[in-house]
Amino acid sequence: MEQYFLGSFLAIFVLWYLSYSATRLDRLHHRVETSWANLDGLLQRRAAVALEIAKSELADPASSLLLTAAAHQARDAQMQSRSQAESGLSGALGLLLNDGHLVDGFIEKDLLRELSELTDKIRVAISLHVDAVTRTQMVRQKPVFKIFRLAGTAPLPVTYEFETDVL
Amino acid sequence: MALKKLRIGLVCPYGWDTPGGVQNHVRDLAEYLIAKGHFVSVLAPVIDEGAIPNYVTSAGKPISIPYNGAVARVLFGPIAFARVRQWISNGKFDLLHLHEPAIPSISLLACWAAEGPLVGTFHAAAKRQKAIFAIGPILEPVIEKLTARIAVSEAARSTLTEHLETDAVVVPNGIYADRYRDGEVRAQWSGNTLGFIGRYEEPRKGLSVLLEALPIIARFAPDVRVLVAGPGDSKDVQDQIDPQLRQRFEFLGRISEKDKADFLSSVALYIAPNTGGESFGIILAEALAGGAAVVASDIPAFESLLGKGEYGALFQSENPQDLAKVVIELLREDEKRRELAQRGKIYAQRFDWDVVAEDIYSIYEMALVGSDGVTLSSENRAWNRFLGREGN
Repeated sequence: MEQYFLGSFLAIFVLWYLSYSATRLDRLHHRVETSWANLDGLLQRRAAVALEIAKSELADPASSLLLTAAAHQARDAQMQSRSQAESGLSGALGLLLNDGHLVDGFIEKDLLRELSELTDKIRVAISLHVDAVTRTQMVRQKPVFKIFRLAGTAPLPVTYEFETDVL
Repeated sequence: MALKKLRIGLVCPYGWDTPGGVQNHVRDLAEYLIAKGHFVSVLAPVIDEGAIPNYVTSAGKPISIPYNGAVARVLFGPIAFARVRQWISNGKFDLLHLHEPAIPSISLLACWAAEGPLVGTFHAAAKRQKAIFAIGPILEPVIEKLTARIAVSEAARSTLTEHLETDAVVVPNGIYADRYRDGEVRAQWSGNTLGFIGRYEEPRKGLSVLLEALPIIARFAPDVRVLVAGPGDSKDVQDQIDPQLRQRFEFLGRISEKDKADFLSSVALYIAPNTGGESFGIILAEALAGGAAVVASDIPAFESLLGKGEYGALFQSENPQDLAKVVIELLREDEKRRELAQRGKIYAQRFDWDVVAEDIYSIYEMALVGSDGVTLSSENRAWNRFLGREGN
């Protein structure tokens, strides 16, 4: 009799633990998705601001062309080329902003402030996203998750190269 | 800030009516957010339930346990857990902000019980501790639920990476810089004076280092005086002071905010000889905002707050000779001291709540993406849904 109790207790515990672990992993996947959605939104906004900068007095015709191209590329890029496109936009913005010429005019100052605020936010969003991704990867490495295939068919999340150096 | 008004729940792990950096931070943040029009509720352990502001909900009486080299007033147990769950369930919060969720107290319980956008702030900075490694596997899945993590300093951040292998965004502690901006210079506190604020009886505040350095300083600046402000029984400490130096000391006891502002504008140098145990050093930020030239020990928290000596002079921690050297140099050169204080005052503006709360708020916004509020995690369990038990 006793061993049945013990056995069923163990079985229930194992089931509970598996369900708990699956919930945990599901939560992590959810976190990766929302943090990416957030980052994606911010990057889109950055591209929009970059386009406005390209049209404003800030940019000379040459850098305006460069910036417009980079911004469009970042907006339209598919997942595979996204990283490169965002790096390209960071580079183009960096070139324009680091040459140190003075800015006057309300609209221009406003644009630059918006850009720097966005950049700060992007930096935070990236660190949140990267943390979620590495965390998920780490958890999925654990034996329990591998043996019982708790991840199901969810793809393993990855980080992108551009995330190491946005502006 | 955005126009959208949020329902924010803050959880403070330590006794609300006991003094401490975390409590001050939670109180200031709550009051700032309320002033911005958000609905804020704070859950904290409370000793005297009659004397709490109306935005605080008591989770029960705190228990004193030794933790991290000091006595922490924390709270846990089944009754506290039930209260935490009830608070979460009644609050209908958009977001929870948990302070010190890695400490065995109600923040951890809230993190365990809640589901949804959770932001955690880590205050403590500690050396590698075996105990935390031991409970790591239990803590990990709980801490993992946090949507975003904030560390108050680089020191706190590296503690977090070391112990729990997770990264955090650094947002410093806040001060109300404008309270300290316009202090008046009072004649009785100015001259060759060294200021010290804090619970000076605690050895880690390092008053003894200053005591040892004083004879050397006095040789070069015969009229040097030390002004000590802060709660404590000055009699005990005074008795230990060499009678020849006693006349140089003035104990002011606990001082008001206004007095503090005047104090910081008046003293020639503010000395922070702390020997460790600091994670951020809020008092240094206040001293800088008050326009004092700061001399601090080179413990990691101070070093990073003072920009490696850019905004305040550093001396080797627990080395009275080095402290004396730095102090004498600054007392002699008025110009250098004034420049240092000026640089520090401008720099301290970045610790103002207007800046800090903005940063915290933008992290809130990121945590809120794609969510519909905080719920109890048990409400989502499969069997509860199966049994038709919807939460509330």
